[in-house]
Amino acid sequence: MESAITLNHFLLVSGILFAIGLAGVLVRRNLIVIFMCLELMLAAANLTLVAFSRFNPVDGQPNYEGHVLLFFIITVAAAEVAVGLAIIVALFRSRETTDVTKINSMKY
Amino acid sequence: MPVYFLEIIVVALGLVMLMIDAFVKLEDKRSIAWLGMIGLAVVFGLLFAVKWPESTDGVFWQFYESGDSFSLYFKGIAIVATFLVLLMATIYTPIVVAQTARPEKDAHPQSGLGEFFALPMFACAGLMWMASANNLVSIFVSLETVTISFYIMVAYLRRNVGSLEAGVKYLILGALSTAFLVYGFAWLFGITGTMQLDGIKEALTSSDVNVTAALFAFALILVSLAFKVGGAPFHFWIPDVYQGAPTPITAFLSVGSKAAGFLVLLRLISPFLASDALVGKVTVVLGAIAFLTLLIGNLAALPQKNFKRLLAYSSVAHAGFLLMALACTPRASETAAGTSPAQVIAFYLGAYLLMTLLAFLVVTVIRSQMVSEEVDAFRGLAKRSPFLSLALLFAMASLAGIPLTAGFVGKFLVFKLAIEQEQWFLLVVGLIGAAAGFYYYLKIAASMYLATPAKDASTEPLQATMLTKTIMVILMVAIIVAGIAPNVIMGLFS
Repeated sequence: MESAITLNHFLLVSGILFAIGLAGVLVRRNLIVIFMCLELMLAAANLTLVAFSRFNPVDGQPNYEGHVLLFFIITVAAAEVAVGLAIIVALFRSRETTDVTKINSMKY
Repeated sequence: MPVYFLEIIVVALGLVMLMIDAFVKLEDKRSIAWLGMIGLAVVFGLLFAVKWPESTDGVFWQFYESGDSFSLYFKGIAIVATFLVLLMATIYTPIVVAQTARPEKDAHPQSGLGEFFALPMFACAGLMWMASANNLVSIFVSLETVTISFYIMVAYLRRNVGSLEAGVKYLILGALSTAFLVYGFAWLFGITGTMQLDGIKEALTSSDVNVTAALFAFALILVSLAFKVGGAPFHFWIPDVYQGAPTPITAFLSVGSKAAGFLVLLRLISPFLASDALVGKVTVVLGAIAFLTLLIGNLAALPQKNFKRLLAYSSVAHAGFLLMALACTPRASETAAGTSPAQVIAFYLGAYLLMTLLAFLVVTVIRSQMVSEEVDAFRGLAKRSPFLSLALLFAMASLAGIPLTAGFVGKFLVFKLAIEQEQWFLLVVGLIGAAAGFYYYLKIAASMYLATPAKDASTEPLQATMLTKTIMVILMVAIIVAGIAPNVIMGLFS
């Protein structure tokens, strides 16, 4: 029986995920939600990587180079969240807001 | 000594500095910075002593470029920039302490200062590794090492709203650019089936490359790197972040992260430029971005009243000149005469390092003793501090591109490339930008030398230590030497 799910389906889903994340970053005002949307964009990239590894096999095995990058992306995203949330908390302590439209003290 | 020991030494030095900060009772924590600076000076010396191994078959060398004087040159840029940033950080200490020290009575009066000196070391190691990265994985990891260190450094003054705001803006836009980068990498990997830049070049230059998908990957990567180097229309974070960040970190951002961004851009774009099916479209897009960046950077700098904001737009303008050089890449089929875009960019970045860091060094000295960074505060500075004014004059003259300075040679080489490739639009907008640059840089010089100071301004000369003055003199001499004999710098990488 033919496999019904192809590379294109994976790419479509990951493209939609990336677009949702990007739209969220541009539209939402709460810093925490924006940060979640950024994670969604990274997840979309991860899905693309796995899909390409699986569907472009080398010697009958998935191309594991994609998986290597994927693990690094997960690790780096975790580090980014650790630093990012700390900065957002520090900002919240001094400004008592996480609304990006209110973070505008610098203008020329 | 194998070349990759350099990065290991820098990381180890950073860890030692953190340990000293945590476990050794120091009267003055600036000793940590002195240690770091001595260490970096030693590593800089070691750059001339490294050798490449005979066999580069191991797994490690898939992630690390082997045998390339270009990468050593960029490692040198990273080390020099970090050295000067640490020097500025010691001058900037009073401000950092006022914004970060813990209020408890039993706390060290300088608590929270040690990390400010250690973090640039980790960023430096990332920059150095990036100079040798030849694989998408190592490019990504080294770029993120630098970026995450920068998130912390920009937001470092945790009781200063400006610094925190700058930190959050940099965090969100930096993370956004990372997301674009990895998505672009994923597509590039999908098209070529490899993470090695060599393999990617091979796959993209073959005749059966999927042009649409390749251009999609190129667009994603270009968006991300335009964020990093400050290319329009992705430059809008630069003024706010530069203004809000601590001054030494602003200097580091404008030199370190720009050099790194352009190096990665050069490495990642060269496979696209080598492909006959893609090169035409790619250079058109690069040319459009360079055009916009030159226009916006130079024109927006004209009305600026805050000196750091002015330097921020100046950094956008210089990114425009660098992108212009990149857009003038000759087709692979044509034989390149004279200097290649990569060489021009390397020279320009070296010159940019000298003059920008000199300007920021003077600003840091001024900022640590006068409260203001507004342009008005520079009025009549020449009478008050003739030496500092002279140093700033050198930096401004070179940034504007007055003949006999490093900045002039950089701009000249870029214009020469544009003429050779017959990019007339870019040439015209570049010349307009350079002319605008004369106005806004020399406005500062005129204000220092010709204007009378405000009535209530202090007339006490500003203090600078012997070491600071010596380094300023070295930078001034280097600017002139690079302006008169550019081959001295060119010889380092070709």
